[in-house]
Amino acid sequence: MTRQAQPARSLRGKLTTLSSWCACLSLILLLCSDSFAFPGPEPNRPTQYDVEAAYLFNFGRFVSWPITEPPSGQFLICILGDDPFGLTLDKTVSGENLHGKRVADKRISHPQDAVGCSILYISSSESSRLSKILPLLKDAPVLTVSDMPDFAQQGGMIQFIVRDGRVRFVVNMGPTQTDGLALSSELLKVALEVIPPKGSH
Amino acid sequence: MPDLRHSPISRKLTIMNVLVSGAALLAASVAFLAYDQYTFRQNLIRSLSAEAQIVGSNSVSALIFDDPDSAQQTLSALHNLPHVITAAIFTPDGHTFAQYARSEHERLANPGDPSGKAIATFRGNELIVRQPIIFQGRQVGSVFIRSDLAEAQQRLQQYGGIAILVLSLSLASALLLSSVVRRSVATPIVELANTARLVSEERNYSVRAKPTGSRDEVATLIEAFNSMLAQIQQRDAALQSAQTELERRVEERTRQLVSANRELEAFSYSVSHDLRGPLEVISGFTYILASEHGRKLDSSGKECINQIENASRRMAELIDDLLNLSRVSTTAMHNERVDLSGIAKEIADQLCRQEPSRRVEFIIRDCDTVRGDARLLRIVMENLMRNSWKYTSKHEQAHIEFACETRRERPVFYVRDDGAGFDPAHAKRLFKPFQRLHGAVDFPGTGIGLATVQRIIARHGGEIWAEGAVEKGATFYFSL
Repeated sequence: MTRQAQPARSLRGKLTTLSSWCACLSLILLLCSDSFAFPGPEPNRPTQYDVEAAYLFNFGRFVSWPITEPPSGQFLICILGDDPFGLTLDKTVSGENLHGKRVADKRISHPQDAVGCSILYISSSESSRLSKILPLLKDAPVLTVSDMPDFAQQGGMIQFIVRDGRVRFVVNMGPTQTDGLALSSELLKVALEVIPPKGSH
Repeated sequence: MPDLRHSPISRKLTIMNVLVSGAALLAASVAFLAYDQYTFRQNLIRSLSAEAQIVGSNSVSALIFDDPDSAQQTLSALHNLPHVITAAIFTPDGHTFAQYARSEHERLANPGDPSGKAIATFRGNELIVRQPIIFQGRQVGSVFIRSDLAEAQQRLQQYGGIAILVLSLSLASALLLSSVVRRSVATPIVELANTARLVSEERNYSVRAKPTGSRDEVATLIEAFNSMLAQIQQRDAALQSAQTELERRVEERTRQLVSANRELEAFSYSVSHDLRGPLEVISGFTYILASEHGRKLDSSGKECINQIENASRRMAELIDDLLNLSRVSTTAMHNERVDLSGIAKEIADQLCRQEPSRRVEFIIRDCDTVRGDARLLRIVMENLMRNSWKYTSKHEQAHIEFACETRRERPVFYVRDDGAGFDPAHAKRLFKPFQRLHGAVDFPGTGIGLATVQRIIARHGGEIWAEGAVEKGATFYFSL
């Protein structure tokens, strides 16, 4: 914040400015004292997987699924392969509801187990099997997410990319449309890149 | 501006009209401006809150997926609203997520309490709106928009200008209209006031105020004023005629009195004059009786003749005095210089010659001459000095003084003696005809002398009065 020369104001205006400056100053002092109290690298800073776990859950808020009779009354977020999130995802989804269902996470090791999952995170440990996994999920209304490079190009729906130390994502519209998933424009707006469905621009 | 209390009624009416219409319009304008400002500000709050809500809902995904650029883009759409100074999106923990400023110089918003509810506050010349961003029941951030009130001020200026224009036009028309009012209200009052002034200054009660032809209070006033004038005129005339009648009567009575008086005086003169004839016959024949037939009479007869002679002499004196008194009132007055001191000396010599045996010391002071009738004033001096001579006759040694002094800037003359004096309680009776304080045996006299003196002094426009005490002498003062 910079303070530039202001035109002359009424006394009340000046007092208001003064009091707001006092508030600013105390806030700055508070922040400074905080940073002095915890010097060095910030221990609370979320890791890439913390962010991705949160995003996984948040995707659920911007995507609508076709109405099907669910096998279970839960909104399942499944992880195929090695789990990079650990407890983070459990913490993120615990007690949450999406689309009127209780959110739960589930670790699976075979793509066939993905039936009933709304969101499927494919761990990078499965990169070698990806070309086999994706066709299996072709007609299932599952939002596939991964941080594997070229995941979107290979037919995945959402691919995490770390850019400038920030977790971003690319959306591939093609498979989402064939699977009947509707991605909110809000979601597309913040996507790093949106790959349009084939045959359209 | 001159004192309004003393200005003419037409100006008062004009000022009143202008003031009343001005005050009413001013109040209406102020109320209108205040209401306009109020509604404008309320609308501004609504529109800015709506704007904040739109910005917020468009920034939900940016906040959730940590995309400040997207939020920045959303915010930068605010540049279409030139009154927005700065805007910012804060994360729930109070960090600035994205911000926008109209120009580089503007200071950016601070989050304050980013978790708080929606607020809209006016601070100085700014409106600050804070709107929490709620997504699916959870606050994901908040939007701050700071807007200036330039439009409100501009509006205030424009409307103020219009108000001033309307106000001045209305005042001008009020001024014009008041001339009409002046004609119907002020002019009759002014004319009435002029008439009233004319009446009171010239005492001319025949003028009348011009009726207005209307039936208002002013007309009643004029009517009442005119009727009062008519009454005054009537009473004036009645008073005048009564006075004339009175004067006529007084004149008539005076004439009657004068003629009666004259008749009376003529009567008394003729009576006195005519009484002389028989008296002379009586005294003449008494003289003949005494001188030619005295020897035939015895002592008792001689005593009778003596009594007749004495009575005749007294009667002659009485007749002379009565004639003097009537002459004093009727004879014409001369105006000449009179030396009272000289007259006093002559009378003193005369008295001393008549009765050389008496030891009376005369003190005659030289006084200034006076203007008056010499013959009448001599009568005055003779009466006063002869009185003094007479009333000192019982004293071995006597003093008689004539002198003058100044009282209240007027010369006053007096004759003083140290004779028998008189009782001061009866001082007023001294000057009435035939009134005597002393018996005729002690001091002979007719009781007419001082009455004559008073008449003469009164004819000269002067006064006479006496001071004295029994056996302490008397002083007779007179002025002319």
